[in-house]
Amino acid sequence: MFQGQRGWFCGSVSHDLRQYWVAEGGTISDPRVADFLFSCDASHPDTLRIYQSLDYIEDNATVFHACYLSAVANAEIKNSVALGHFILPPASLQKEIRRKIGSFIWEQDQHFLIEKHFIR
Amino acid sequence: ETDNCSKMLRYRCSGCIAVGKSLNSRNFSKLLHCCPYQCDRHKVIVEAEDRYKSELRKSLICNKKILLTPRRRHQLSSES
Ligand SMILES: [Zn+2]
Repeated sequence: MFQGQRGWFCGSVSHDLRQYWVAEGGTISDPRVADFLFSCDASHPDTLRIYQSLDYIEDNATVFHACYLSAVANAEIKNSVALGHFILPPASLQKEIRRKIGSFIWEQDQHFLIEKHFIR
Repeated sequence: ETDNCSKMLRYRCSGCIAVGKSLNSRNFSKLLHCCPYQCDRHKVIVEAEDRYKSELRKSLICNKKILLTPRRRHQLSSES
């Protein structure tokens, strides 16, 4: 699934999810050259550094919640999981976003998600 | 909750339906910005992040200005 893709992982991401990434053919890389930026905590210093980078300001660095990987692992059709539902915005914005659109996908029950949204 | 979900299914924007290998952290934001029919969810997230980015941009420019006030510039040139 992730053959040839480079991924950067914030210190907040569990070992299991990193392992899954590697098992699916992905490699682990530096944030500057990574194709994917994964985090489980927007206020972790590693992730804060991404939000303060020029790449982020210039729309070249979207951080995704690493539970995208567990959604992929649990999905019957692996590439049916929409990456776009796992955007992880800076922590200071989350409260306001939640007030407008409800809880984030990555805060909801995994099983429900996979059944309702991701199988197309 | 159920209402929210059916709404999501009805108004899927490119940020919602795009799947596959070509999508990643480098191109996702541009894809969303180019999408003419952002769903409510993506619209709110994009607007919030855009605001955050523009504030950060402003503060970066401010810092540069502070760095380049005449006195500081003088110091910099005498240092080099
Ligand atoms: Zn959308």
